[in-house]
Amino acid sequence: MGNKQTIFTDEQLDAYQDCSFFTRKEILRLHERYHELAPHIVPMDYTRNPDVKVPKQLIINMPELMENPFKERIVHSFSEDEEGSLSFNDFVDMFSALSETAPRELKAVYAFKVYDFNTDNFICKSDLEQTLNKLTKEDLTEEEITLVCEKVIEEADMDADGKLGFADFENMISKAPDFLR
Amino acid sequence: MDDNWTDRLGRRDDETEPTWGGRGPPSLFLQLPSNQTLRLRGNKAVDWGAAWEGASEPTVDPQELIPEFVPGEEEEDSKPLKELPLSLAEKRKLRALQEQAASRLTGWDLWRVEKQRTLRRLRNQAGNAFSYAEMWRSSLHHIGGHFGTGIQSYFNFLRFLVLMNFVASLLVVGFVVAPNAAFESLHLNWTSQHNNSSVNESCLRYDPSPKGLVSYFSYIMNLLSGQGFMELTYLFYGYYQNSAVDFVGFSYNVPLAYLLTVFFYLLFCLAWIVRRSVYCLKRSLVSEDASFGSYSDKVFAGWDFGLMQEKMVKLRHRSIRYELKMDLEEAALRKHQAEQTTSQRVCLYALRGLVNVIVLGLLGASFYCIYRATDYSQWLQGKEDSPVKGQFFLKLLVAYLPSVVITLANLIVPIISESIVRLEKYPLSFEIKITLLRNVFLRIASLVVVLVSLWGQITCNGDLENADCRNCGYNNTLYLCWETAVGQEMYKLMIFDLLIMLLVVMFVEFPRKMLVTFLPSCPLLKLWGQQEFMVPSNVLDLVYGQTLCWTGALFCPLLPVLNTIKYIAVFYLKKLTLFSNCRPADRTFRASSSNFFFLLVLLLGLIISCVPALYSMFVIHPSEACGPFRGEPAMWNTVSSAISELPKMARNFFRFVGSLAFAVPLFLLLSILMFYLKALADSYSSVVKGLKGQLRLEGQDKLFLVKQISELSQ
Repeated sequence: MGNKQTIFTDEQLDAYQDCSFFTRKEILRLHERYHELAPHIVPMDYTRNPDVKVPKQLIINMPELMENPFKERIVHSFSEDEEGSLSFNDFVDMFSALSETAPRELKAVYAFKVYDFNTDNFICKSDLEQTLNKLTKEDLTEEEITLVCEKVIEEADMDADGKLGFADFENMISKAPDFLR
Repeated sequence: MDDNWTDRLGRRDDETEPTWGGRGPPSLFLQLPSNQTLRLRGNKAVDWGAAWEGASEPTVDPQELIPEFVPGEEEEDSKPLKELPLSLAEKRKLRALQEQAASRLTGWDLWRVEKQRTLRRLRNQAGNAFSYAEMWRSSLHHIGGHFGTGIQSYFNFLRFLVLMNFVASLLVVGFVVAPNAAFESLHLNWTSQHNNSSVNESCLRYDPSPKGLVSYFSYIMNLLSGQGFMELTYLFYGYYQNSAVDFVGFSYNVPLAYLLTVFFYLLFCLAWIVRRSVYCLKRSLVSEDASFGSYSDKVFAGWDFGLMQEKMVKLRHRSIRYELKMDLEEAALRKHQAEQTTSQRVCLYALRGLVNVIVLGLLGASFYCIYRATDYSQWLQGKEDSPVKGQFFLKLLVAYLPSVVITLANLIVPIISESIVRLEKYPLSFEIKITLLRNVFLRIASLVVVLVSLWGQITCNGDLENADCRNCGYNNTLYLCWETAVGQEMYKLMIFDLLIMLLVVMFVEFPRKMLVTFLPSCPLLKLWGQQEFMVPSNVLDLVYGQTLCWTGALFCPLLPVLNTIKYIAVFYLKKLTLFSNCRPADRTFRASSSNFFFLLVLLLGLIISCVPALYSMFVIHPSEACGPFRGEPAMWNTVSSAISELPKMARNFFRFVGSLAFAVPLFLLLSILMFYLKALADSYSSVVKGLKGQLRLEGQDKLFLVKQISELSQ
């Protein structure tokens, strides 16, 4: 292992370690994976902080994300631009928030973004319907979907505005014990 | 609550549906403080706002959210940088700012900040190293990725049991077995602590060593049933001596060490389980007014983001679908049942009563069979001239008769009860719970029946004036060393348990998989299908094995060691069968809500296994011919005599703690504390209810006001 890597300066690695939930080794491995996605775009030398973004299509084909029904929403939540391409910073951020050591509150923030399909800061009924369709691969009938959406909103909506704000979502998530994954 | 949600829905549509329809809320909403919390990813704020014309974007300065790095203030309550929901680039900027601020400090503050940073780094690294050193971490990950967190929780539970048994066996070996072995090999001076003078001669006969020409088979027989040469090893109670050893200046009191070790072993297991269950309880605590949303939980937390394989992902989709459908069906069933007429309801209750009677009858019959089997087996083994003497297999069968009957009962009764529970027409979730409860009762109670029948034989059914029991205080004709006999029974049960697991995997699961794979067209096989990994019944197996270990620990000190080895073997066996033979269940098993239930059942097993140990310690007369308590009227006497040798202060303290003058006030104090906490919890729950209502009103106020303001401003 040693300190002979030339991809990042020590200062950068320290910064990454402080700002994410990964160790040095893991960050280097992440860079390797990032490089594998698009070897012709991603440089091996990051000491000068190059401004490089990998397009969304390549990222959602990663084996970790490929089978995930929410892969597009996840990538969009961490991306800085509209097309959903991720720089290395965003890439590290995404996996850091999804990692096991990330606390529940942080995951709740990003989970809310993921489930908010129309990005209006609320999880409204149409967002829920889309979530359900993705979860069950569109196998429930219309009526069943409506029923489940009504029940969810009824259970979680605290200020009775017919949709879930972040406070409602966070409150409900804090009671859901299975959430951490 | 489930019944009138349709009514409430209708009402809600009229009152609170926002009147701006599908166009979206007015731009005023975007300026509310509660909306600001999410606009934290750099330029994204611009994108979200662009949809609403005329929207003014208040730029939020992320730095306002982080307390400015002020030297001299406590840094512990500000969140660590990595937990902030900002983009990584922003976090790095913040970090640079923090570094700048730090570099302006001098002297004391600088040193303190550096210390805190290194401490935090060290803690992180220690945490990382610790998680790498976790046993079987990669296996558990692998299992979780393929089969989901439900099945992973079973293996997690198994790992916890292995660790607990391992540490406990270190305890036992360190204080009981190792000193004895060391003292014997060092040929130290053993001073006997009892006098044989006042004891009946017939009680002192005990010689289990095999005499004469011993056939090879009898060695194997002895290994499997714990008799013969096995009785003269450290495995069983009978081998230890009632003496103190003079060792390097102090005297190591063997019986006291034995008793205290067993006592602390049980206490240690209790403490660990309680700690773990409190941790689980915190995570799975249901809110006070039981509005815990099973639907929202399934929708938002239903997807396992760790799954990667395509096959498993498809299965997960299917299982979420299945679960939602089941829940909807259950809601429909509840509604239907609420609308039944009285006569139909009476019919249903009568049917349920009948089914309960049948189940109880089955349980009673199996308990009776177990009782008779244990009686017969013990009687036949204790007879001097038994008819099966010399015949190897018959002897083995007789020795294992109770285990066989228990296993048969545990196989047959759950199958029957599962098939007739459908008649009771409970909602599905309740059906699962009640089947589980009945299984738990069956398993724990069958062990209790074995213990009760053993007790009956040892103490002549409690009648100490009986001819058999009069001489020595226990049944001398059947048992020359009754503790070893009990230990042997537990040992046999444990071995049989492992054997059955092995046999089931080899002769039921593998052939089933072979048949289903190679004869896919046979309709009967298609109906039977591939094996499912049923988590609850497997966990009950584990709990049963652990209860056996606890019960037998007093009589067979090396049982925790054997249990550790057994559970390690079970881990690899179950992992093998999981990957080769099983398909994931249709209904995914919810890990968290059941973790607490399993720990509760384990705790129940511990409590039940403490009863024989405590009873033997305090009430039953120890064997005169063997063991570290020979010559004492009860096992606990060693402790009382040891206490009476302590200095006066310590002696008075222990006397006080053991007396009623201490126990009764303590009990009263604990009851008062419990009532107070319950009252506190009730008051909290009513406060929460009030606050929820208030929140609802505030939300409606907000909507109303925003509507008014936007109407006025137009």
